[in-house]
Amino acid sequence: MAAVAVAARGTAPSLSRRLHAWGLLLAVVGAAVGFFVGYALGSLAIGEGNASLGSNAGILLGYALSAVGFLAGMGFFNYPVARLLGRPVPTAEDEAYLHGEGGGLARYFRLTTDHKVIGMQYVVAILAFLFVGGLGAMFIRTELLTPTPTTATAETYLTLVGLHSTLMIFMASAAIIGPFGNYFVPIMIGARNMAFPRLEALTFWLLPPAGLILLSTVFLGGFTTGWTGYAPLADQNVLGMDSYLVAFSLIGLSIMLSGLNMIVTVITLRAPGLRFTRLPIFVWGVFVTSFLGLLAAPALIGAIAMEAFDRTYHTTLFVPAGGGSPYLWENLFWFFGHPEVYIFILPAFGLIMEMLPVFTRRPLWGYRVAIGGLVGVTVLSFTVWQHHLFVSGLAPALRPFYMFSTEAISVPTGLIYLVALGTLWRARVRFSTPMLFIGAFLFNFLIGGFTGVFLSDVPSDFTLHGGYFVQAHFHYTIMGAEVFALMAGLVYYLPKMTGRTMDTRLTRFQFWAVFLSFNGTFLSLLSVGILGMPRRVINYAQYLQPLNVSATIFAYLLGGSMLLFLGILIWNIVVRPVPAKENLWESLGVEWHVPTPTPAHNFETVPTNWSLPYDYDTGRVAADVGRSVPALGGATL
Amino acid sequence: MTDKRRRYIRMFALVWFILAVAGDIGLALGPTPPFTASDLASSQSTVIKVLSVIAWPVFSAVLAVIAFTLFANRVAPHEGDVPPRELRGDSRPQIAWITASIVIVLSLAVYGTVALANDQPGAGISTASASLPQPASASDPLEVQVIAQQWWFTYRYPTYGGIETPQLVLPVGQKIQFHVTSLDVVHSFWFYALGVKADAVPLNDNVFTATPSQTGTYRVQCSELCGLWHGNMNADDAMVVSSSDFSNWIQQQQAMDAPILKYLPAYSHTYAPNPLSYGS
Repeated sequence: MAAVAVAARGTAPSLSRRLHAWGLLLAVVGAAVGFFVGYALGSLAIGEGNASLGSNAGILLGYALSAVGFLAGMGFFNYPVARLLGRPVPTAEDEAYLHGEGGGLARYFRLTTDHKVIGMQYVVAILAFLFVGGLGAMFIRTELLTPTPTTATAETYLTLVGLHSTLMIFMASAAIIGPFGNYFVPIMIGARNMAFPRLEALTFWLLPPAGLILLSTVFLGGFTTGWTGYAPLADQNVLGMDSYLVAFSLIGLSIMLSGLNMIVTVITLRAPGLRFTRLPIFVWGVFVTSFLGLLAAPALIGAIAMEAFDRTYHTTLFVPAGGGSPYLWENLFWFFGHPEVYIFILPAFGLIMEMLPVFTRRPLWGYRVAIGGLVGVTVLSFTVWQHHLFVSGLAPALRPFYMFSTEAISVPTGLIYLVALGTLWRARVRFSTPMLFIGAFLFNFLIGGFTGVFLSDVPSDFTLHGGYFVQAHFHYTIMGAEVFALMAGLVYYLPKMTGRTMDTRLTRFQFWAVFLSFNGTFLSLLSVGILGMPRRVINYAQYLQPLNVSATIFAYLLGGSMLLFLGILIWNIVVRPVPAKENLWESLGVEWHVPTPTPAHNFETVPTNWSLPYDYDTGRVAADVGRSVPALGGATL
Repeated sequence: MTDKRRRYIRMFALVWFILAVAGDIGLALGPTPPFTASDLASSQSTVIKVLSVIAWPVFSAVLAVIAFTLFANRVAPHEGDVPPRELRGDSRPQIAWITASIVIVLSLAVYGTVALANDQPGAGISTASASLPQPASASDPLEVQVIAQQWWFTYRYPTYGGIETPQLVLPVGQKIQFHVTSLDVVHSFWFYALGVKADAVPLNDNVFTATPSQTGTYRVQCSELCGLWHGNMNADDAMVVSSSDFSNWIQQQQAMDAPILKYLPAYSHTYAPNPLSYGS
């Protein structure tokens, strides 16, 4: 392969390669063309005689086609169209180019089918979403310093709420799977690439248009529904709502396709001898999550299509006066929305359990129990969505069932804790920075889980529902757990992904800053919730001000420490690279025993002789990859 | 097991025990939101109290184990590996853990269901299809229809000729049956002090009962995002008054509304004009 790539540089690049090289530029042109074509079509189709309605359909179609134009410009249709036209199949050189071989930095800015490049692209995208969404949170907390509006109008405030929540949902949907799943799953299963590399690139390149389309809502009047987009309020919204609809459906598509790709990859591309009972637990986390994504996201996309019809063709699917029902949106949305939160957390569970043995220097305790926990959560997560509707007046007779199923999901979730505690029990704990984040993850998610008990119980939910208690509860699970797992993962895996490492003392300081400020913020918000503050309000009762001020001060510190993380990352990885030792955490995982940087196709020969990567008592590497970096007993130090 | 480890275990167990007992005493004796202004609020306080008292020892036990393992098993970052007894799993703690969590979950579900049945007897029967209520006798609950719209609540007293007021006034000690509905989008009626929270959905009648037990002036607010002025959809003037004050207030309202009372519709689940009907 390397020889092919070298030879390719000598010859004149083919048309396909030149198209790919200029992909990003063509994509911008394609997006612009797509938008105007879509806008014109939409306005013509419906707009005659009614300008405001026309622009509604125009914006929807414009955005949809601009996404298609963007992807066309990136080169996603080159291959299928060429095959349709009966053109010759791509040459080995073209495929190698597409795979990013010898591409340098430029391959990160074009369609590339190398899962490692895509993983790095995801790292950047996730951090960008986190940064913009975090800015939104800072503005929201600033406004909530006072019980009446001071810094923002009601309209600005609600748009900020909508942008913060929706961007963070986009971020969280891929925060672990995107960077680490794409980068490490093929390596961990001994594969040379994903099953559908072009599809994998597509799941990433749907993110930039989704993010930009969502942000464009500020030019279209914003939207007032938050991330839940409840109808019929959504019908009243101006054009900004259409940004939300298109952007969210693109993310839904990305989640769904990523799930499909991961499932097929794990089932079909495992190296010979790597049985399901020997898969690294992180791969299991990604695998079960992929089923959630594949099965839940279509409900969202369908609901969004229905909402788009309501807004343009004036169907009344969600409008009671026309025979529809707001409950229909609520049901479809939460049928997606509740599995969605497990799409956030299950890969994080997997990642945490993958790292635990490395820092406790012992086998994962209860590997099969952990799989049982992951599978149990996956199955049950489809049965709990109506706990979001406990006070909605819908089917009150079903409430005991949803209370039971919601409480039941704590049994498989508890198994994850059992495995973590069992692993820690006889451990030799090394307090490297990722281990600190693992400890914080266990602490934060424990609070997230126990606050969930009060929300699953219908009588206590009556008072807590729709208040800040809920808000703090899901921030404990999403930020306190998933984003902490993301930070742990970045500190842990960036040395492998980039060959560079983040400074130990700085990240330790950053850890304590982020851990304390996070808990300060959200313990304050749990309290305002118990005392009766509803979510998403710009005005609140006077007596809640002290706790809100406390939350805001901690939130500023939290924002500062998140910025610090970004700063350390950029400084140590990009600006002043600190070279990382090979296998610096002394892991037995396969991913740490391939060379750094990982070769374009991961392995020279198919890895053999697989076992679980947690044999720290014998020091046996998970598979024979033709080389190994000693991993035991500080022997390398 | 070394002596040092045994000492650590005893130490952490003791700290956990003290924390668990002290915390539970505090939780059991301290005031618990949403406090006691109605039977429903009191019952919710009790439920939250019971859940907290059960949850706190378990929560702190898990934390104690995590803290113990991190503390007792710490080694320098690159200290040589001489792993002790290596367990990859042990069925006894697994079975114990799973059994315990299933027992806890089942008892929580049963407790929650019983508490729900006591709080809202018959909830779920009275939806949009329910027959129109008749004027109440003294022993029947007082019906108050809560009509949400962007961005305020209107209260309708069907058993008093259908008077409508922008202010909620309730008699103390009388069982109140709230019928919550909406004219436009989804709202949620939250009377925090009474423990009442019910989504207001157009064309749906969401029923909630509570008996206020303390007179006073309280806040009602919307707790479901309902558009631009959602944050302003609150009022601090909801009152629970003595029954004689309530009769006076009702008579006042009826006198005030006399000229229009005869035109007001009888108790009904639909409203006209409907602001969301399209194509008119």
